[in-house]
Amino acid sequence: MSKYIAKAAIRGATAIVNEADQLLEAAIADLGADKEVAFTNTAYYLPTILGFTGKEVSNLGQLRDVVAHCKTLLNEPPGDELWLPYLGETLDSGAATLLAAETIEAVRFVRGQQPEKIDGLQLVGTSAPGGPGYANGPIDDIQLRAWGIQLVDGRMPGFAAIVGCARSNEAAVTLIRELQKRNILVFLSGNVNGRSIIDQLQEEGVEMGYDTYIVPFGRDTISAIYALGFATRSALTFGGMSGGQIRDILLYNKFRVFAFVLALGEVDDLKYAAAAGAINYGFPVIADTVIPQILPTGVTAYEHVVSMPFDDIEGDTDTDKARRMVQRAIEVRGVKIKITDVPIPVPYGSAFEGERIRRADMRVEFGGSKSTAFEYLRMVDSDSIEDGRITVVGPDFSEIKDGGAMNMGMVIEVAGRKMQEDFEPVLERQMHYFVNGASGIQHVGQRDITWIRFSKAAVDKGFGLKNLGDIAHARLHAEFGAIVDKVQVTIYTDPEKFEEWLAKAREAYLNRNVRLAGLIDSNVEEFYSCTLCQSFAPTHVCVISPERLGLCGAYNWLDCKASYQINPTGPNQPIYKGTCIDADKGVWEGSNAFVYANSQQAVDNVSLYSIMDSPMTACGCFECLVMLIPEANGVMVVSREDPSMTPAGMTFSTLAGVAGGGLQSPGIMGVGKYYLTSKKFIAAEGGFKRVVWMSSNLKAIMADELKQVAEREGDPDLIDKIADERSATTVEELLPFLEEKGHPALVMESII
Amino acid sequence: MAVPEVKEKYAGRIQEVTLGAGSRGKTVAIGGESTLPFLHFEGTVANRPAIAIEVSDREPDDWSPLLKEAWGDVMGDPAKWAAKAEELGADVIALSLDSAHPERGNTGADDARKTVRKVLEATTLPLIVYGPGQKDKDNEVLVAAAEEAKGERIAIGNAEEKNYRTIVAAALANDQVVIAKSPMDVNLAKQLNVLIGDMGIPKDRIIMDPTTGALGYGVEYSYSVMERVRLAALGGDATLQQPMVLTVGYEAWRTKEARTNDEVPQEWGDWAQRAILWEANTAITLVNTGANLLVLRHPQSVALVRKAIDRLMAGA
Ligand code: SF4
Repeated sequence: MSKYIAKAAIRGATAIVNEADQLLEAAIADLGADKEVAFTNTAYYLPTILGFTGKEVSNLGQLRDVVAHCKTLLNEPPGDELWLPYLGETLDSGAATLLAAETIEAVRFVRGQQPEKIDGLQLVGTSAPGGPGYANGPIDDIQLRAWGIQLVDGRMPGFAAIVGCARSNEAAVTLIRELQKRNILVFLSGNVNGRSIIDQLQEEGVEMGYDTYIVPFGRDTISAIYALGFATRSALTFGGMSGGQIRDILLYNKFRVFAFVLALGEVDDLKYAAAAGAINYGFPVIADTVIPQILPTGVTAYEHVVSMPFDDIEGDTDTDKARRMVQRAIEVRGVKIKITDVPIPVPYGSAFEGERIRRADMRVEFGGSKSTAFEYLRMVDSDSIEDGRITVVGPDFSEIKDGGAMNMGMVIEVAGRKMQEDFEPVLERQMHYFVNGASGIQHVGQRDITWIRFSKAAVDKGFGLKNLGDIAHARLHAEFGAIVDKVQVTIYTDPEKFEEWLAKAREAYLNRNVRLAGLIDSNVEEFYSCTLCQSFAPTHVCVISPERLGLCGAYNWLDCKASYQINPTGPNQPIYKGTCIDADKGVWEGSNAFVYANSQQAVDNVSLYSIMDSPMTACGCFECLVMLIPEANGVMVVSREDPSMTPAGMTFSTLAGVAGGGLQSPGIMGVGKYYLTSKKFIAAEGGFKRVVWMSSNLKAIMADELKQVAEREGDPDLIDKIADERSATTVEELLPFLEEKGHPALVMESII
Repeated sequence: MAVPEVKEKYAGRIQEVTLGAGSRGKTVAIGGESTLPFLHFEGTVANRPAIAIEVSDREPDDWSPLLKEAWGDVMGDPAKWAAKAEELGADVIALSLDSAHPERGNTGADDARKTVRKVLEATTLPLIVYGPGQKDKDNEVLVAAAEEAKGERIAIGNAEEKNYRTIVAAALANDQVVIAKSPMDVNLAKQLNVLIGDMGIPKDRIIMDPTTGALGYGVEYSYSVMERVRLAALGGDATLQQPMVLTVGYEAWRTKEARTNDEVPQEWGDWAQRAILWEANTAITLVNTGANLLVLRHPQSVALVRKAIDRLMAGA
């Protein structure tokens, strides 16, 4: 906490409490203690006072208690020698400021000085009594409910309380337009040397009022209290709280009302004090002048006070600067913006995902056999990118002849408070689905084997390289808004830049591979569950660890981790491992407890690394089946794509009936094919060396990976020693084959 | 040989939810049981399953002629219809604001307000108000209905995974109950309850609709989903302890067996009897797997179901 702010806030609070005291006493002297006080059409009395103290104030006399309470909240300004954490005192003085401010406005209401008279101000939609020429004053209950519903259901992301006067009229208008564009409600109050943002907007002919979501409260700082009165009533109305439950009210606002304060122009003591009041609600303050910053401490999950001196903001014009300021404010408060449409010239939707573009219909391709294309998504610092910026570096494809090919690299940079480097590959892989959703565009592959085709039809409609960036931007926000705040895309076709970034991307792919290889079960605290398949296999739970992916192959540990961030109530929940019960078989207290609780108490023990003892259940989606062949002292692996007979005397589809349905059947289990390459693959039974038979298509698709496994197992020729449907479809054929090849399983200890 | 002790002791209990307040002549509490349906020897069955009669704000053109016969003229007027439903033994009126559907009249918030007001005045029973099942229109008319009925503690629905926030917000702002509808899946039901709960609405203001099929059209599937919901709830899973409502009438009267008598085999017997039994049978089946509130259509099936519930509750 900055001592400077603490001192200023306490000074400001002391001054306003005294002012409230004097105004109140004068009003009581003039009008009597019984004189009624009320804000416009509200059932919540003086709402901030009601929220903080539970007092239902309806006459002037009752306000004396409030002022007395304010005084107890005031503290001595911190001395010059002592350094203490001042946050508590500052927040208290913030609270005193709010109560005093509301007291003052109440007195002004009684005297007919509120809502404030502003000549020439014509609001479109207002609850201010007295017709044109007045600021709005407090928002009435009807409007509160109408907007409150939108704030609660997410149609309106939040509100911005702007206090002061913008650098220029141009800046003022841009600030407002940028906020409006995002559906953010705008409250206006305050001035700098007598000039208010309300004046600026009035001069520029910006329509204000309920209908345009811009509410001018008044031209002094004190009227900003109406914003907090609104916030307080939201909690009372939608949070089911009652007056006096201030802790709950403040928490409600912190977690559910995405609001922030923009302090424009010089910040005086009163503004510091009012800012401290806003921080109580978890609303951060972003100032366009040089002031001390307050970084995260626990009251808000983010910076409390951010200084963004207007002159230092990047940008050539006030418009540019104002735009960046809004962007920053939104990031600080974590306001989430929804993008629903993908702004491209061709139809977009999952219906187009399966589309294939034939060579004859193709305008141009990137990647494939004649050129190279890559996609590289990386996490960057939020300050280094601009959301929605899409750049193409190098020529487009107009010079390429019909049906030709071109090198292209797409670099997607994302930033977000909840983003983690681990999520890079998860998001990057989504590009396949995202790009495929565009009609007339085909996407295959990933990383540096990406292959994208544009059809003639799509290009005729105006589809260009830049649109790939539009798709990435819109879809990442829409699908991964929980972890992504900003997306910037750069597309490289310039030969030199392309090579430069391809090299960078390849280095990153390599690093990821290394990281993934180092990601092992014993190094993580938590595994993840997947219960997506319970709709048809109610007792099945996939326990997904770094070394064992989900049995459908679609979810690995990182995917689940990201999915949990995105959807904390979804099918992927963290499973804390807890105490290890059996390290060889892969049994933990945590995974057992989770599976028991989520399998309708049907399964109480699961070994992640064993096929013989309590193997994982299977739903039916498994990519491969692993099954014991006792005669061969090993197991066979049958692929879902393999229709042939197996040495077990059954085909895949018959076997699937035995293994599926959420049952635990020792000797047979379903797995994702990449589990075969894991060091933990049936580790309890001796690992990959147990594989005596494997569908030939698996050997082919995973040739490289399997080769590495064979080397790791110290038997480089191992894969050739494994039979497949071409060499054996019965046990009688299998055994001589294994004998002849000298398969290691034959001499291993008995598997049963 | 000693008789083995078969009583279960469950850790969980179903949440009790009360419908109706304010000007309602009676309130209806549902849920609250600490055991599986009607196992009176084992735990308490705090409230009997309640019956709502469905009333539409628009004369239905796709309902079976048998229903039209049974209700007659009142079908053109939701207020009269509700009054008659009360007379014929409903515990709750389920008002469907079907006329708000863009293809069935596209009426708006003001009409909804008027209808709700009229129906509230015509009956003393608690209300459920359903939207037309189209996202934007649901939000429009349910917000209006919730405001109009402030203080009456009505249930509004359906809040679904793709569209729950506005409806829940309206319930929050006006102290109403929400119906959380999920498509026959335990985990989705659970997820929706959690999402809705996260918005801060108290648990005694959520009813869940796990969706059912009619007899012969998937009722066995919904039976087992509901059974799993209930076992999990009683087992202590707090996210599934909401009482369950089911739109039995809607499902049963969609079946060919109930809807029509054209070109059906003779052995199917008397049409009216068949159709009514179809609805009643579906309802009674579901009551046995934990349904707490049934939305029905035909007065005679209401009577049959009521009789069955009387007997099932006899041991209480
Ligand atoms: S098979 Fe795949 S989708 Fe199904 S539960 Fe396992 S990981 Fe989830």
